[in-house]
Amino acid sequence: MEVSVTIRIDPTRCRGHAICALFFAEGVELDQWGFGRVVDDRVDSGRLLRKVRRAAAACPNGAFVVSERTTPAVRTARSS
Amino acid sequence: MTGSPDVLLLAHPPGPHRGHGPDVPTVPVRIDELGGADALVLSGPSATEGAERLLDHTVRWGPLPAHDGARVRSLLRDSRLDGRGGGGFPLVRKVDTALLAPGRPVVIVNGSESEPASRKDRTLCRHRPHLVLDGAALLARALGADEVVVHTHRRPGSSAGRLATAIVERVRAGLDDPAWHVSEGPDRYVAGESSAVASFIDGGEARPRFTTRPLAANGPSGRPTLVSNAETVVQLAVAARIGAAAWNARGAPSSPGPRLATLAGAVPRPGLVLELTGNGTIGDLLAAGGIGAPPAAVLVGGFAGTWVRGDEAWQTPYTREALHCVGASPGCGLLAVLPHDACPLAETARLVRYLAGESAGQCGSCVAGLPRLADAMDALADGSARRRGVARMAALAETVVGSGACAHPDGVALLVRSTLDVFADDVVRHLGGGPCRGADHPPILPVPAARSMPTTGGDAWR
Repeated sequence: MEVSVTIRIDPTRCRGHAICALFFAEGVELDQWGFGRVVDDRVDSGRLLRKVRRAAAACPNGAFVVSERTTPAVRTARSS
Repeated sequence: MTGSPDVLLLAHPPGPHRGHGPDVPTVPVRIDELGGADALVLSGPSATEGAERLLDHTVRWGPLPAHDGARVRSLLRDSRLDGRGGGGFPLVRKVDTALLAPGRPVVIVNGSESEPASRKDRTLCRHRPHLVLDGAALLARALGADEVVVHTHRRPGSSAGRLATAIVERVRAGLDDPAWHVSEGPDRYVAGESSAVASFIDGGEARPRFTTRPLAANGPSGRPTLVSNAETVVQLAVAARIGAAAWNARGAPSSPGPRLATLAGAVPRPGLVLELTGNGTIGDLLAAGGIGAPPAAVLVGGFAGTWVRGDEAWQTPYTREALHCVGASPGCGLLAVLPHDACPLAETARLVRYLAGESAGQCGSCVAGLPRLADAMDALADGSARRRGVARMAALAETVVGSGACAHPDGVALLVRSTLDVFADDVVRHLGGGPCRGADHPPILPVPAARSMPTTGGDAWR
């Protein structure tokens, strides 16, 4: 078993404060208004995970969503 | 999309767009309208008559086959029935996702048809309500569901009344049906999107929702929620009568089954719904609708669809695969015709303004992006735009793609992109202050007046 961490920005909640990008600059792209988009929705390294949790905690609208799920270790190709 | 679990992908190697092989004979191209002799799905009484009664329906089609859930699932798999609401997602995959998810499934038939110029779903709900309900009953069996909600929009001539009358007939006849509910939601463009419909039926607002898992696995109520377009379930009802192979063979090599399309714009009969059997082209469909030669362009797939040059569209087979090659998709089945003497930029500007006002006002891409796209399109249409403004508009269109909770901004962006691509000559003429070919032409596309987007609160979305 392994823990998989998925991050998403809920666009219906994001108000473009761009605070997530302060904490997790390498993982969030901002458009011209400051609305964020995650670069890669999977987070593997522990160092990044700390940043991700900070970004989630700092979002004033709860738009930065982190889901941690325990999944079977073997994963086949996904149709993303 | 991150749809169903991977194991299911492996279980259905013949994908939805794969051909049905050399051993299946292709049928000749036939096109007809409601009540026509060359129609199958649209066979029966003509459009001048009302809803087909249960007795007439049963005489024509025979009683609904007593398939159990497993048999319906096999039918879905063998027919390769694809969703007809716009996404084209194989229905069997949605069903399998719902079957694997915990909880009692919710079955919703989406008869919203929020595309203003499309008529196929309301034609089916109003004239063939028993085909809709037959298909819904089969879908409920596949999922072991004992309730079905049929959803429509509150609008003049709503299908809800005729569906309710048909349900009364079925209850009186004692059919082995699920419990029926008819639902009517707000008549707004994005309110017909599947997550918006599911949200409304769960008691919430009819606005698209941000979801991390497919509705079929986890809807707003927490239960697996299968939302299927009205034409899709009608096709299921027809496939159950004639068998998966016969149904499939009425399609084209890459597109299973017969397909419905609505003609709009500069055609003799706007709103005409046609059924295509075989590997016919868009030109075949337009010719059946009374158009003699390729028009300037065809808007394919809906108001947030794609412009295709008329001569190119004319010879493009009306299949998902062939449309993909010209950058388009069947979408809701709309084919809107632009004549040679109209201004494509003015038409597109009205479309983008309308679509910008129809957003749910939730995501940045719609709130900040779409009104600016509409302003830029207006400027281009009225001749006040500069080259730099057009470049900015193109970049803006790319920015909003994929950044909303639903595909609404993506659709508008695709429309803008295809406009700049297909009508490059017109763009250059407008930038240079040259004469516009359609300066005084009355509007072609039936675009409703643009509204402002109501935000949350109040009952605008209930």
